[in-house]
Amino acid sequence: MLDLSFLLFGRGNYQIDWNKIMLKINDLHAVVGEARSQILTGLSLKVPAGEVHAIMGPNGAGKSTLSYVLTGRDDYEVTEGTVELGGQNLLDMEPEERAASGLFLSFQYPLEIPGVPTMTFLKTALNAQRKARGEEEMGAPEFLKKARALAKELKIKPDMLKRPLNVGFSGGEKKRMEIFQMMMLEPSFIVMDETDSGLDVDALRIVADGVNSLRSPDRGMLIITHYQRLLDYITPDKVHVLAGGKIAASGDADFAKLLEKEGYDKYAA
Amino acid sequence: MVGVMNIINQLPHRRMEAWKWTDVSRAVPEGMPGLSLAMAPRFTPPAGISVMQGEGATSDTVMGKLAANFAGQSWNFHVPANTHPADSLLIENLISGHGRITIKLEKGASLTVVEHHKGADKSFANIDMQIHLAEGAKLTRILVHDDPETATRISTASLTAEKDTKFEQYVLSFGGALFRLETRLYGKGEGIEAHMNGAYLLSGDKHTDMTSHTELSHPNCHIRQSVKGVVTDKARGVFQGKFHVEKEAQHTDAEMRHDALMLSDRAQIRSKPELEIYADDVACAHGNTIGALDESALFYMRQRGIPLAQAKALLTEAFLASVFDDMADEDMKASLMKQINQWLEASYGF
Ligand SMILES: Nc1ncnc2c1ncn2[C@@H]1O[C@H](COP(=O)(O)OP(=O)(O)OP(=O)(O)O)[C@@H](O)[C@H]1O
Ligand SMILES: [Mg+2]
Repeated sequence: MLDLSFLLFGRGNYQIDWNKIMLKINDLHAVVGEARSQILTGLSLKVPAGEVHAIMGPNGAGKSTLSYVLTGRDDYEVTEGTVELGGQNLLDMEPEERAASGLFLSFQYPLEIPGVPTMTFLKTALNAQRKARGEEEMGAPEFLKKARALAKELKIKPDMLKRPLNVGFSGGEKKRMEIFQMMMLEPSFIVMDETDSGLDVDALRIVADGVNSLRSPDRGMLIITHYQRLLDYITPDKVHVLAGGKIAASGDADFAKLLEKEGYDKYAA
Repeated sequence: MVGVMNIINQLPHRRMEAWKWTDVSRAVPEGMPGLSLAMAPRFTPPAGISVMQGEGATSDTVMGKLAANFAGQSWNFHVPANTHPADSLLIENLISGHGRITIKLEKGASLTVVEHHKGADKSFANIDMQIHLAEGAKLTRILVHDDPETATRISTASLTAEKDTKFEQYVLSFGGALFRLETRLYGKGEGIEAHMNGAYLLSGDKHTDMTSHTELSHPNCHIRQSVKGVVTDKARGVFQGKFHVEKEAQHTDAEMRHDALMLSDRAQIRSKPELEIYADDVACAHGNTIGALDESALFYMRQRGIPLAQAKALLTEAFLASVFDDMADEDMKASLMKQINQWLEASYGF
């Protein structure tokens, strides 16, 4: 296990009723793009605080779509249904407000941000969130100290933190950088979209250790993946199949093994 | 002397090819303050360099001739051979009227000129600068421009550059009712090195035109030019650049870029990069892009908690920063970036 005890410091003094943090999706319908293709067709899902749920499902089923709907991306329009996070109506909020209220998405394809050094980006993000929550900004020394310690734990080379975010990073490096950002921002609800894809065995272990260290009674997680190998490290409380635009089946951790063996044919719409 | 009444007829207008996107005549109402007056600039020269009034060098541009008519004598600066003043020549108070400035660098001399072009409401300003760089001389020119939305300004610099000279130019313009910055570089020897960079950031109804003309007639010259622009609201950005490379100018290595961000449907960008090449063994290129901020990148930043306006500002700043990357004077660079930041804060609203 990594020693991530330093993350416990510097959370400021704002009060959140952690017990309330929970994702509640009810009958969600969403259309995507100019063509307004119907991708989600009545998806319902509840993730209680403290639990980790996995979502599996065939390519094109709408898993990434769900992650974008949750985070409020333009072009992903909710036509029916509700989404609540910690009792707040998520769908009424701007993407940055959702982030400040604790929602984090580890992107399937992290974006390159040319010209903005990773550290500048992250410090801006962290302090923007703090400001939105009415907390005091984190000063440069504290931020640097925390970032350096975490980078070391995640085996991220210090010079990568000076480079523009994700620009020219390898696929695996980008994923590792997502985890780095996630652990710096300490979100209360985490969505990971295929964070394991493209990771070598060592990186997978580092990422999984990081994720496990964030598991806590106050935090919920939704892990989108195609592979059992990630779930070998991060044991989910529940596993769901997303097919035909909804949750087609659910089970416990062993369900993932069955899915990997049998495929999704029987859940096809 | 040209009469006051007919000066408007003499101003460049859009039916002239070089002024088709910057119609001075239309932007200037009769009786505009400064139209027929001499300018009263304030100079802070470095130690050992003094201002002298005199004939000055003559100009053959339309605006240069008008300046000669109304400005009277030229303000002249002379940097003796192999002198390297530690401080810059600071030029301010270029508020309204016509002004002429002549700068001569003798062999191996160097100088940094810092100009602040800032006018008054409804004012007209026309500055003509004539620069001569003798063999091995080096000039750095930094120009910051910020006019009210009602002020018109034309600033022309013509340089003759001899063998092995260096010219570096950094321009930052926040626009005016109409602003034309024209840089004319005439190579008179081998091995000239010139970097001419600029950025314009325009909001409201502002207009900035960065026009340049580079003529090379000797071998082994190295030219780099990069102009970047951001336009919002109904602002208009103009870029015109020309490299004219004579048959004798072999092994010229010249590159011109103009990249602009258009952040509103009503804003405009006009650009005309031109290469006129008569030498056969040269590397000359130009590039021109007009784009918007990357929506996916903006969403990614917002997902991390960065508010939209701030995300836009960060991306815009990153886009512009390369223009000033090579500036040797770090303090000056920081000051320019700070002004860019202030503009972004005010224009994007955060
Ligand atoms: N902007 C868009 N415009 C139109 N269709 C889109 C758009 N974005 C996604 N889609 C479509 O929505 C469907 C669901 O895509 P999504 O990316 O959510 O699938 P996924 O389950 O994440 O698949 P994978 O396992 O391959 O990552 C696909 O058919 C895709 O082509
Ligand atoms: Mg996907």
